[in-house]
Amino acid sequence: MRMQENGNNITKNSSIQKKKQKNTSDRKDSAFSVEQYNMGTHRIGRISSIITLVLLVGAPFLIGIYLHAMPDLSAAAKGFLSVGLIWTVSSVVEFLVYTPMLGSGGGYLAFITGNLINMKIPCAMNARDIAGTKAGTTENEIISTLSIATSSLVTIAVLALGVLLLQPLQPVLQSQTLAPAFENVVPALFGAMAWQYYRRNLRLAVIPLAVMTVLFILVPSLTAQTSMMILPSGALSILLAWLEYRKKKTEIHKSTSEGRNMK
Amino acid sequence: MLQKLNSPFMYLVCGLIILFVAIVCLVFLVRSYRAGKAMGMDPKVLKRAITSSATFTVLPAVGILLGVIALSGSLGTPWPWLRLSVIGALHYETQVAEAASEAVGIGSLSITHMTPKAFTTIALLMSVCIMWGMILSILFNKRYTGRLRKRDSQKRNGSDFGDSAMTAMFVGLVSAYIGSYIGNLVSGRGNFSFRGNPVPLIVAGVSAVAMGLFTFLSEKKGLRWLENFSVAGSMLIGMAAAVFLG
Repeated sequence: MRMQENGNNITKNSSIQKKKQKNTSDRKDSAFSVEQYNMGTHRIGRISSIITLVLLVGAPFLIGIYLHAMPDLSAAAKGFLSVGLIWTVSSVVEFLVYTPMLGSGGGYLAFITGNLINMKIPCAMNARDIAGTKAGTTENEIISTLSIATSSLVTIAVLALGVLLLQPLQPVLQSQTLAPAFENVVPALFGAMAWQYYRRNLRLAVIPLAVMTVLFILVPSLTAQTSMMILPSGALSILLAWLEYRKKKTEIHKSTSEGRNMK
Repeated sequence: MLQKLNSPFMYLVCGLIILFVAIVCLVFLVRSYRAGKAMGMDPKVLKRAITSSATFTVLPAVGILLGVIALSGSLGTPWPWLRLSVIGALHYETQVAEAASEAVGIGSLSITHMTPKAFTTIALLMSVCIMWGMILSILFNKRYTGRLRKRDSQKRNGSDFGDSAMTAMFVGLVSAYIGSYIGNLVSGRGNFSFRGNPVPLIVAGVSAVAMGLFTFLSEKKGLRWLENFSVAGSMLIGMAAAVFLG
């Protein structure tokens, strides 16, 4: 009898403890503030970006001390004028276009870790699709940050492992047989993404795809600057989506007012 | 020269910077996971986002590793390893390194012409040319995303164009690439000659069909777990097709 009572007490106590734990975690959850989270993201993002920037620009000078040869600043300036300006314009465009897609946390991380078009953007969009979150929401911000942080860590791990095993891996990775596979990573990626996006937005995709195809056929040299062509193609798609959205909105408005008139 | 560029000192400098960035990624990962849980998001969804992103990344990362190997012959291994782990982009690095070597006067990017001064100058130029995204983030990310968030919350009542705009932007991005593959096939070797490279278009097609199959299996046959590996699996099949095409 007593044993049973004790047993009951233990169960009771543990359930009280569980309730207490739940209450504490609920309190923790309710203490979560989106505003504070965002502020923290910007603080960490800015500090880590500044440190990375200093490290990356400082590294050539540190290596210069080791090699007893500092960088030639006038040659670097000349080189910057010939190639850097294009990349500066491209960076501004990338920042304006991709930041809304990535959110604040994802944005900081993606610009620190690079490989945006060929990896981070499709990766974040894929995670967003799987999680079913909507752009501009905190949930989307969280999924995007999770996705880009994971993607960056996996890239760092694969490259570190690859560099560590460079000698044994080199013959495999550079074999003539496998060369076409690695030359076509990006087409394979965009083929898969095309299916995912075109099947749900076929009407939206037809015109941008047709316009881009005609443009690349008529001006084949543009294929070397595909990443630059994303901007007009994206702008055209957004314009078409906007027109479709307006049309739907007007139809809804019309049917609502017709319904009211019927009443 | 190559020996110096592959010295333990170079590995240490580059490795420490990569380690720092890995820690930053880890901090963001843990913070966002905790925030998601605290907000009441389903941990399963958060874990699926992590798993799908990890599987998604492996193949493109191997492609990036090839970029490291390609550049290691002229710049040593540690510097390309750093550049492609942090900030760099596969299509950017080779282009800038080539242009930088012309600017420093060694002609083409090659270890036979490489001098210590040329290397440090090329390394500096590679860093400076691509740092603007990061600078813009430091200066404007807060204001820009804040404004976007404000606009979204103002329009939340009945409007979700922000979401459609993101999808549309991505449709545009994909269209630019697919259009370039078709353009390359049709006019790659002379206007309307149809003698250009068909492989990228075929690979994209095979990958799309494979993706369709994966979607069918995960949506219609109840194999939801496949969703996490569908992009990586489709890419693998597409890349295998490239091997068969030679």
